Amino acid sequence: MSSSTPTLVAHHLFRSFGAGETKTTVLHDVSLDLYGSQVSLLMGPSGSGKSTLLAVLSGLLRPDSGEVIALGQQLWQMSENEQRKFRLRHCGFIFQGFNLFPSLTAREQLEMVLRWSEGVSQRETERRVEESLMRLGLGQRADLTADQLSGGEKQRVAIARALLKEPTFCFADEPTSSLDWSHGEQVVQLLRAAARERGATIFIVAHDSRIVPYADRVYYLEDGHLSQKPEPRA
Amino acid sequence: MRLPYSLLLIGRERGRYLPAILAVAFCAQLNILQWGVLLGTLSVLSMPIDRSQADVWVASRDVLSLELGHPIPNDWEARVASQPEVERTETYLFSFGYWHKPTGGSEVCEVVGTQLGEQALGALADLTPEMRMRLTEPGAVVVDASELDRLGVHGIGDAAEVYGHRVFVVGLLHGFKSVGGPYVFCSLRTARMILPLFQGKPHDTMYLLARCKNPAAAHELIERLRQYPELSAFTRDEFSRRTRVYWLTQTNAGIGMGCTAGLALLVGLVVTSQTLYAATAASLREYAVLRALGISRWRMGAMVLAQSFWVGLFGIAVAMPVIFSLGAAANFAGARVLLPAWLFAGGNALTMAMALISGLAALRSLRLVEPITLLR
Repeated sequence: MSSSTPTLVAHHLFRSFGAGETKTTVLHDVSLDLYGSQVSLLMGPSGSGKSTLLAVLSGLLRPDSGEVIALGQQLWQMSENEQRKFRLRHCGFIFQGFNLFPSLTAREQLEMVLRWSEGVSQRETERRVEESLMRLGLGQRADLTADQLSGGEKQRVAIARALLKEPTFCFADEPTSSLDWSHGEQVVQLLRAAARERGATIFIVAHDSRIVPYADRVYYLEDGHLSQKPEPRA
Repeated sequence: MRLPYSLLLIGRERGRYLPAILAVAFCAQLNILQWGVLLGTLSVLSMPIDRSQADVWVASRDVLSLELGHPIPNDWEARVASQPEVERTETYLFSFGYWHKPTGGSEVCEVVGTQLGEQALGALADLTPEMRMRLTEPGAVVVDASELDRLGVHGIGDAAEVYGHRVFVVGLLHGFKSVGGPYVFCSLRTARMILPLFQGKPHDTMYLLARCKNPAAAHELIERLRQYPELSAFTRDEFSRRTRVYWLTQTNAGIGMGCTAGLALLVGLVVTSQTLYAATAASLREYAVLRALGISRWRMGAMVLAQSFWVGLFGIAVAMPVIFSLGAAANFAGARVLLPAWLFAGGNALTMAMALISGLAALRSLRLVEPITLLR
């Protein structure tokens, strides 16, 4: 995917919570473009609506108004099932915390995603899981359960799970928040590698300014208004 | 071979699923054992019928069970004997009696008076030739060995009274412990002597028994006999079932068993359902990630249902040896517990259905799986 053509375009997004006097507008006329092969970083203070924007862009939360066009398709005009299929085909997610089944091994956590996806053969599942484990340096730890892995290893499994289907988009919500910087940096580098090597569109929501040098675009959200910082590597 | 995730999670999180497995096991045990006890009890009630050699039982009109017959005239015997299918007939006496213990006190007993020949239709197949010979003596009776205490006697040779008539024990049987009064088996002559219902009424009997030349012709015989409105006629199996069904449906025993069995199912249902619900609820965040990745909700539902299936299967597996052991112990202790294969099949099917319904009830936890909850 050419970096001059956005893979995801958001226009005039509004999203509020509550009603009447308690109504809070979290996204106020937000527009942005995301590109393949790039890491886009969204920063902002707590409660500024970063996670809400991620949810709206990824098809997890419907905006009050505005549109999200992903790979040329109007995301919020799809049915719920169409959205699910879109996510199945094109989206990977990394959330805060690891969210791994404690008693399943790293290998089983990954296999579950492909075995429960549609149309992936057993042989293909094994090949992709093995490849993914090796790429993330988990080859020796593949048969340990989540309970037996360190925090950094768990997050690598979570990343492997998100990237396993080689998605067009990877949405990461505070992926380094529960890690020390040495592990956090590894995580960011892995995401950056996914963008560079596979052309994936990476969208990271984070507080940690140490991620900024790894981002191609940096957005800042405050009081529901989005602004773009100068490109860090420009 | 790769194990399904449902099985992997149960195996590795045994502590979490154990309460559900034990609840299912408890449910299966209670149900099967209870019905086994009930079947055993009911089988004793119909045992004089089951252990007879008669193909057809003829009784007063609308008789509901063995104990509830009314005297009928002996004359009917000719009516029965004249039917083309019949090989031979005989009379059969049955009535409650008061057994006066030599040690004091009395006990209600069930007196069964039959012919005693080797080919006799009413005599229990379990009576040995020696017992049959000794029973020909007036006042001689045979009782179940486990009823001696109830009857206040110690064994063969001991005497007591029934309605003031001296009776004495000449033989002991095993496996005829009655639910009601102890069975007292004797000759027709002794029965007529001790039972007021038949004293001075040599032309009355309680039942008429018939043997068919061809046992398969019993149904035809019954159809013809039923044209006489004053009598009722049954095959041996029909009368046996009629007696058991009467006790099952018309007494508190059957209702009580049914209630307890239902309660066991309910307990199993609630515990299993809550355990599966809690197990799923504990993994809501993991399921939510899978939902975000586009995995269908039905996949997760299928896993919960598969878990309920495995919980059911393991629960049944735990229950089986316990049921056999308790059944054997109960039989050893003198209770009669019947555990036919169909009871296991039915009981286990019911238990499995209960486990699967628990799984269906636990599916409601999946409604809580929403990826948006992962975003803080």
